[in-house]
Amino acid sequence: MAFAEYAWLIPIFPLIAFVVIGFLGNRLFKKWEGGAPVAIGMTAISLILSLVVAFEALTTGDGTPFVQSIEWLVVQSGDFAFTFNMGIYIDNLTALMLIVVSFVATLVVIYSLGYMHEEGEKKRRYYAIISLFISVMLGLVLASNFLQMFIFWELVGLCSYLLIGFWNTRPSAASAAKKAFLVTRIGDIMFMIGLFVLFVGFQGNLDFEYIFANVDAFIGGNDLLTFGTLMIFGGAVGKSAQFPLHDWLPDAMEGPTTVSALIHAATMVKAGVYLVARSYPVMVDTPTTLLVVACIGGFTALFAATMALNNTNIKRVLAYSTISQLGYMFLALGAGGYIYTQTLEPNVGYTAGMFHLMNHAFFKALLFLSAGAVIHAVHTEDMRLMGGLSKKLKITSLVMLIGCISIAGIPPFSGFWSKDLILEAVFEGISVSPVFAVLYAFGLATAFLTAFYMFRLWFMTFSGEPRDQHTYEHAHESPAVMWVPLALLAALAFGSGFAFLFGFEASIVPHGVFEFDHVASAGDLLVAMFTNVLTYASIIVALAGIGLAYLMYKKKSIDPARFTSGTVGKTISNVLLARYGFTKAYDWIGLKVVYGVAKVADFIDRRIIDGIINAISAGLIRAGGFLRRAQTGLVQAYAVVVVAGGSLIVILLFLVGGI
Amino acid sequence: MMDYGAIYPEIILILFAVAIPALHMLIKSSRALAGISLVGIAASIGMVVYYMLNGYPSIIGNPDAPLLSFDALAAVFSLVFLSVAFVVVLASARYVEKDRHLAEYFTLIMMATAGMMLVSSAQDLLTIYIGIEIASMATYALVAFRKKDKRGSEAAVKYVIIGGMSSALSLYGISLLFGVTGTTNLIGINAALASQGVDLAALMALALLLAGFGFKIAIVPFHMWAPDVYEGATAPISAFLAAGSKKMGLVVLFKVFIVGLIAIKADWDIVVGIVAVLTMTIGNVIALSQTNMKRMLAYSSIGQAGYMLMAIPLATVVGDYAITGGIFHIITHAFMKGGAFIVVAAMAYVAIGESIADYKGLGKRAPFMAFSMTMFMFALAGIPPLSGFMSKVVLLSASVQAAEVTQWMIWLGVALVLNSALSLYYYVRVIKYMYVEKGETDAKIKVPVTLTAAIAICLVATIGLGLFFDPVLELCSEAARTLFPALGA
Repeated sequence: MAFAEYAWLIPIFPLIAFVVIGFLGNRLFKKWEGGAPVAIGMTAISLILSLVVAFEALTTGDGTPFVQSIEWLVVQSGDFAFTFNMGIYIDNLTALMLIVVSFVATLVVIYSLGYMHEEGEKKRRYYAIISLFISVMLGLVLASNFLQMFIFWELVGLCSYLLIGFWNTRPSAASAAKKAFLVTRIGDIMFMIGLFVLFVGFQGNLDFEYIFANVDAFIGGNDLLTFGTLMIFGGAVGKSAQFPLHDWLPDAMEGPTTVSALIHAATMVKAGVYLVARSYPVMVDTPTTLLVVACIGGFTALFAATMALNNTNIKRVLAYSTISQLGYMFLALGAGGYIYTQTLEPNVGYTAGMFHLMNHAFFKALLFLSAGAVIHAVHTEDMRLMGGLSKKLKITSLVMLIGCISIAGIPPFSGFWSKDLILEAVFEGISVSPVFAVLYAFGLATAFLTAFYMFRLWFMTFSGEPRDQHTYEHAHESPAVMWVPLALLAALAFGSGFAFLFGFEASIVPHGVFEFDHVASAGDLLVAMFTNVLTYASIIVALAGIGLAYLMYKKKSIDPARFTSGTVGKTISNVLLARYGFTKAYDWIGLKVVYGVAKVADFIDRRIIDGIINAISAGLIRAGGFLRRAQTGLVQAYAVVVVAGGSLIVILLFLVGGI
Repeated sequence: MMDYGAIYPEIILILFAVAIPALHMLIKSSRALAGISLVGIAASIGMVVYYMLNGYPSIIGNPDAPLLSFDALAAVFSLVFLSVAFVVVLASARYVEKDRHLAEYFTLIMMATAGMMLVSSAQDLLTIYIGIEIASMATYALVAFRKKDKRGSEAAVKYVIIGGMSSALSLYGISLLFGVTGTTNLIGINAALASQGVDLAALMALALLLAGFGFKIAIVPFHMWAPDVYEGATAPISAFLAAGSKKMGLVVLFKVFIVGLIAIKADWDIVVGIVAVLTMTIGNVIALSQTNMKRMLAYSSIGQAGYMLMAIPLATVVGDYAITGGIFHIITHAFMKGGAFIVVAAMAYVAIGESIADYKGLGKRAPFMAFSMTMFMFALAGIPPLSGFMSKVVLLSASVQAAEVTQWMIWLGVALVLNSALSLYYYVRVIKYMYVEKGETDAKIKVPVTLTAAIAICLVATIGLGLFFDPVLELCSEAARTLFPALGA
């Protein structure tokens, strides 16, 4: 493990960029695109190092993680002793995340050079924070214990807050940032509770290495452990915008599109999935939690997909699709784990989830950055004002089409492989529990909806006649610094799925939980996949979705208005646009419940507590004034007090002295 | 041949003290005289440190009933007294340059210090008494040093009268104890008291000793002289009284109560506890309404004495740990209170008044003075990470520990915490005046370098003891253990 020794440097480089850009003078970076070259350079260095470390871990390791840590806090107090470490933990999962995060991050930062060009003075802030964001996400991925992970987890939250609210003069951006921060906070608190449970149960040792090897050493029984893992999953629900804490993500579109790309593809939301994957060795001891993970994931996948159906904002549609795809990942992780706990047979659930995470990172980054190119060209996010743009934005329309095909799940594009694997894993569970029949149906329905709304997006944006002549005329293709990253991502969005045929399944398994006995060859895998009826089912629904979108938005043989004209249709459409009322519910909770509690607390604090304190202090100051007057300055009086005091002490001694 | 090694530090000091008036015939400069005094004090410090590193000298007197023993406790307290004297002399170098009788001034300070050191190594009620009287006589004269100053003279008269009274009270107590036990040696007294049951005369003696020695510490209700005297005396002497002489009273109480009277089978600890709580509360409450810096600091000293007094009842349960806390607080208090008084002295030197309102705008006019004062105020209030916080923490934890055995002792800790919160009000007020309120002028103030140096020493100690308290705490613990012979030093 020659290179892993230096893995701790991976988050350091972007951190250097943050410090340099953030704290060195504005003047220095005025000519330097606000410090972009520094951010790009440092991110690129950490990309190279990540690739080297990941390659080493994936090829030379035997599955045992590489751990390196230093003592950070040592508390020694009798039988209450514990140590917190700071370190790095590298296994195949870490390696995968390192590749995904640093690769997407680097491309996003390069792309920003074009996208953020017109931001002027604010650019320095942008590059500083985005460097910090990348740094803490890499730190999170490398963390060697739950506490350290939590620290980075919180920092990721902070950075997302700063970036979503980047245009801080815009009220909607400011409130979106606040919403993102507060809603994920709920998850963070649950994560913290989970940490407490683990801390107590594992007697103060939160190191992954220790916990994964000694899950049985947990004190407090399986119910407590289940509670703990549920709470940890609660943290993931907040961060990864799963039902019912999903509503911050669409609002988070207020940030620059590059930030959305980063949050959705590489950093923020992937942290939740990573957390569940990381905690897998613990979670397989608590089947209930895994079942909850699967159900929440499956439900969110479908639920979020429905909201994308009639939205006209290009970024929002992508936001819902992210929530939905994250749901897929949780569904895969939860289903795979639960089935394993029931059958003790290795299955592909975990692999499928992480595989989808990787593929999704590429095609979602591609989609967001393409959408960014469109927005950059037409200066609007409303798809109703677009149309016919493929003539003007040839490259963009092409790469976005690749992204759409990929997410829709058409072979051999990357999304197909992982989605199919997920559905296969869930289907396997039907023999274990009938719940999985429902979840499989959800998954299949989601596949249909995804294909539909993604192609609706593509047709509305790029095909047909321009709906707004003015915007159309001003549209222009992006500079090379933007489309080159797009092209790279397009290549990956097309090809990353082939990793499946080259040993992905064998290397990304939950080590310490189970391993696959034999490694299937590429040919076997292909045969297995394409002789399975399920594969065709998922391809057919995807094609059906694309076909429907084609008929409605390209050929216009089915008028979309038909679905919204009737009373029922209108109601459904409005409910979807109102996000099932979740936005209102959040506001209601915030305004009535939280603000109400705050008002009561404020009253108690100001009137009752402060009132008592003020009364006491007023009384004491008055007492001071009174006692001060007793100090007459006459030495005779002092002598009297000495004698009287001495006598009092004598009397006291005889009274309470216990004689 | 008797070995007088135990009083070498005092002898060095006294030699210098005696030499200075003679030298004054030749040297007129106050700075030179102060310099010579500083050399004497430094030499004495050197002697003490030598003993601490190379083992303590043999005791003076009968091994079973020693008169003087220079042990770890004496060493620590001697260092405190000598450091205070050092800082005070340093601060006085320019402060008294226009006064007459300069030689006597420095001589008296060193004499008083020698007396205090004698007390810290005394093992017999009579040697304690003699030490106290040496120190007292010298400080009486020091308070009256500017004899044309009415306030100073008035203060000195009050000081002498009340001092005489308490001297009488403690002598009465000593004679009663001698009557009961037939000895004046602390260890002998303890042995004798342990063998006999509760004796009303012994209890009476205990009350008288508390009253007599309590005068020095200014515990309530024997505190009333303190504000008048601190206000009347020149500021460096106030520093000397608050940081030095007061601590002598505490070491006496530690010795008398822990070594001598602990065997009295009566619940006298409750009474001392009540006195401690009263002392801290009344001191702090009256301090709230003070407008004169020196009076405010005087009352704050009374409050702080209450914290230190807490150690005695706590020691009856948790033993040396409580005394460790008491000694540590004595050390930290010596520097923070001494420093605060010297800042007042510096301000008086540059003709800024003693009223708190006179300190308006000091943050701009004398940044270092204002910063140091802020640190001293915060330390006195017990704000981490300054020294006052650490020493209060030790006392508080001692009270929590003691409460596991004797429940009421938790209230000592509670009183400590509440009083600390209360005291913040008047400490922070000073800071507010210095930084928030606008002064009439922004003219910079120039303070003589000797005063600045004295303040800097106190500042470094105040911050340093808060951050690196371990070695000092170790030392305090070693000193405290000498009071508990069973534990071994």
